[in-house]
Amino acid sequence: MFWPWERAKEGLREELDSHLNMAVAERVAHGEDPAQARAAALRELGNLPLIRDVARERWGWMWLENLVHDTRYALRQLRSAPAFTATALLTLAFGVGANLGVFQLLYAVILAELPIPHPEEVVRIQAARTPFDQSWTISYPAYQRLRAATPEVPLMASANAQDATLELPNRASIEATLAPVSDNYFSGLGVAPAAGRLFVLADERMGQDEWPAVLRYDFARNTFGSAQQAVGRHLVLNGRAFVVIGVTHRRFLGDITGRAPDIWLPLALQSTGAFAFSWDSLGPGHDVSLDKPWYDQPTIFWLELTARIPPERRAAVLAHWDQAFRNDRVVMTEATADPALKAARLQVKTGVAPLSENGMSKRFTAPLTLLMALSASIFLVGCLNLANLQLARLNTRARELSVRMALGASSGRLLRQIVLEDALLVAGGSACAFVLGRAASGILVRWASNRNALFMFDLHPNLPLAALGAGLMLLSLLCFSILPAVIFIRTGVAHTAGSGAKVVGISQTAIQRFRSNMLLGTQVSLSLLLSTMAGCFAATLVHWETVDVGMDREHVLIVRPELHQPRYTDHSEMLPELYRQIQERLQALPGVRSAAVEMCGGIHCGWITALYVHGRSGLTDEQAHGQEDHVGLGFFSTVGIPILRGRDFSAGDTDKTQRVAIISRAYARQLFGDEDPIGQWVGYVPAPDDHKFMIVGEVADARVNGAEREAPPVVYMCINQNPAPVNSIRVRAVGDPRQLADTVRQALREVDPTLPVSEIVPLATELNGDLGTNKLLARLAAIYASLTLLLIAIGFYGVMSSRTARRKSEFGIRLALGATRRNIQMLIVGQTARILVAGILPGAILSIFAVRAAGHFLYGSVSANSLVIIAASLVLACASFIATLIPARCAAFADPLETLRSE
Amino acid sequence: MRETPKYQNKIELLQGTLDMLVLQALVREPMHGYAIAQVLRSRSDEVFNVETGSLYPALHRLERQKWVKSEWKLTEARQRAKFYQLTALGRKHLASDHQRWLQLVRAIGAVMVPEAQP
Repeated sequence: MFWPWERAKEGLREELDSHLNMAVAERVAHGEDPAQARAAALRELGNLPLIRDVARERWGWMWLENLVHDTRYALRQLRSAPAFTATALLTLAFGVGANLGVFQLLYAVILAELPIPHPEEVVRIQAARTPFDQSWTISYPAYQRLRAATPEVPLMASANAQDATLELPNRASIEATLAPVSDNYFSGLGVAPAAGRLFVLADERMGQDEWPAVLRYDFARNTFGSAQQAVGRHLVLNGRAFVVIGVTHRRFLGDITGRAPDIWLPLALQSTGAFAFSWDSLGPGHDVSLDKPWYDQPTIFWLELTARIPPERRAAVLAHWDQAFRNDRVVMTEATADPALKAARLQVKTGVAPLSENGMSKRFTAPLTLLMALSASIFLVGCLNLANLQLARLNTRARELSVRMALGASSGRLLRQIVLEDALLVAGGSACAFVLGRAASGILVRWASNRNALFMFDLHPNLPLAALGAGLMLLSLLCFSILPAVIFIRTGVAHTAGSGAKVVGISQTAIQRFRSNMLLGTQVSLSLLLSTMAGCFAATLVHWETVDVGMDREHVLIVRPELHQPRYTDHSEMLPELYRQIQERLQALPGVRSAAVEMCGGIHCGWITALYVHGRSGLTDEQAHGQEDHVGLGFFSTVGIPILRGRDFSAGDTDKTQRVAIISRAYARQLFGDEDPIGQWVGYVPAPDDHKFMIVGEVADARVNGAEREAPPVVYMCINQNPAPVNSIRVRAVGDPRQLADTVRQALREVDPTLPVSEIVPLATELNGDLGTNKLLARLAAIYASLTLLLIAIGFYGVMSSRTARRKSEFGIRLALGATRRNIQMLIVGQTARILVAGILPGAILSIFAVRAAGHFLYGSVSANSLVIIAASLVLACASFIATLIPARCAAFADPLETLRSE
Repeated sequence: MRETPKYQNKIELLQGTLDMLVLQALVREPMHGYAIAQVLRSRSDEVFNVETGSLYPALHRLERQKWVKSEWKLTEARQRAKFYQLTALGRKHLASDHQRWLQLVRAIGAVMVPEAQP
């Protein structure tokens, strides 16, 4: 036998039997009649089962035995109600899982600290904003000065570099994200290596044959099998040789939330010119040579600073740095024409900002908090629903429970059995929830990410997550099991302790009915809230996916060639001819309306520039600044930006003719107001060099920075007048641009067999790929709304079927007395209607507040959102009525004789 | 036919003494439950009629405390029965119990010395 006490029990029975036999034998030996002897011996022995029980208690495992019994009983109960079990498991899995998934993301994005010692000491240093990008980056000489000023303070610098192509022997090349950092980066932060070593001062030497590289743990493992195996391996990145010197600690994902670099490199690597760095400078006309190494140029701003300073020393260190930085501040404001702005910028003091204050937390704090609130409501709906089902279920079990109580079961034991049953459900549901939550946070990250850059977070299970999970488990157990069971045992069983007839015929007391109606009503309110939010978010997403961006979003294909190779960059004078051939070849393809090259590779790419108007002084920085892009012939007709005035670039615009420019409506309004911009002269710098370009055309505004962002002021220059490698070729198709991808790739191969094409993607995909936050909100809210809708339907079905079952005999009498089946149905449906009205009214008010509160994420007016509330109410009502009609029909079409006879 | 002793004639066992009596009964040889009950009854001149409902829980408790161990054997009448045997631990425990009991009896005796009548 499986359980040890079963064997022991068997032994005890045998032992008492042998005792009895001996007693009988002795009496018989004394001459008693065997039958009488047996009866007397039994009498002497006493209550056998009681003796057994008492003896068993002495073994000290009664509680365990009871628990096993109760567990077995609970499992049997759960198996006998598969619909309830499945509903409860799914509800808990989704209710808890959704919360865990969203919380894990929330924690990773907002709450988590860097996995380093004393993360609170590490801050970003904000010395001065750069003239154009307004970023907090400074030059390399300035960085060296600051570092020298306070040798005891670890001051780390990092740069922003574009992804590079990683080549490994015998493998397909992949794109790797890079993080160029100063030699003291890891030591300053306090990051430990998982294998090998991290950067030291010697790694910053210029002109190394083989550069050192540090890999991220997971990247190393995925690429080389393990951290240890990665150390010492040789790689080729953008054609340069590297050796892996170490792998970081597995939890360290860089210092920027969501953006985990694959490879860390020394800053000195910039001198190779093989990598594309983000930078800002004083603009054309100042002493800037981008082609030469940047380490000795004080006018190229490319380093972001991070320092580890204990809070109490911060003020002193910053004052020290202000001193050292004074000259650089003057240099950085040289290009600022606006005197007031310049004076203000010179007054700026060096400041600090916590690492947690980043774009990621700014962008996601509000949406994730909102999602957390929605997740909490779905959990609540789930618990209410289960509580209601539980009450209904207990009511149907009333007779069984009351009989058991009458037979001597203690109410404590009954309560324990019911709670144990639900504890099993909660445990099972939570196990599913943890799995679901883990999967969900991964999916959420993918939804929130932009199309090209997947966010990377540390999603390891952590203590707060476990605490939340355990808390939700206990809360759900309390809500849907302990409270209903206590309420029921206290009231329900007492009422039903009478005869069977009374049990069958018992009418729910008013208070019981009110309780379950209120639970249902609250669910309806919350569900309406969730459905409304889902509707609003979906409408918003659809809006941004279809909004007029000023370009032909449905027919344009973005082709990304890899022209940043010495073969092209060293012979840029050949490029206009290459562009002409590409355009001609592509336009000859069937299905292609036109094609053109563009410097920008996609959205968010135009660089910030400044234009000054010849013959007009006093332009503020705000008026002068705009975005710049260099485009080939036929660009505007290809992407579908209409030319409003003047002309397009033509074949006559070359590097030998007058430089020309085309500006967008917004830029024209900024620079010239309502004047005609055509024929005006502009330049990158104020007078006297303010007449480099002549404006020959004005085009309509286009949302080139993404559908959600306002159309920026853009100036377009002709790429043939300043030939440079382009990042994209735009192709406008007659029909679906996706179908052209292969023919375009083939055609490009015919023009230049050596030109690699990295990606071909429709403009619509590119634009929609940027709507991460909207997508996250819309999809998750939609899932929540459909789940609650399902829960509501199950809730109505469960409660109404339990009620109709209880009132079966009443309906039988009603039918017998002449009520029609329709009357009966209306009786039940009427109950649902009342609950719906009671739930929808507060729900609608709640939804209006919620829509107001979330207005920041929603597009559209309040009235449009009110329509969504009405639509959501209708959907809710439909689902509830359908769920009610099933038991209502059952009740109405039951044979009255049959039901009365069963009485 | 034997007269069954009336309940009133029996002396309620002092709390904890049953264990000692059972252990004492087992000192000489291993015994089964029925025999233990008989021994206690006969040695006490029929005063202690140990109820089965107390005896078996006590035996199981003693076994759990490892003061006795049990074994299924055949009786002289070829009947299977569970024989209990004193363990070394049980012997030690019995000795100390006995000691305490003697102390108790002496103390009670001393208190109950009949006072000299005035």
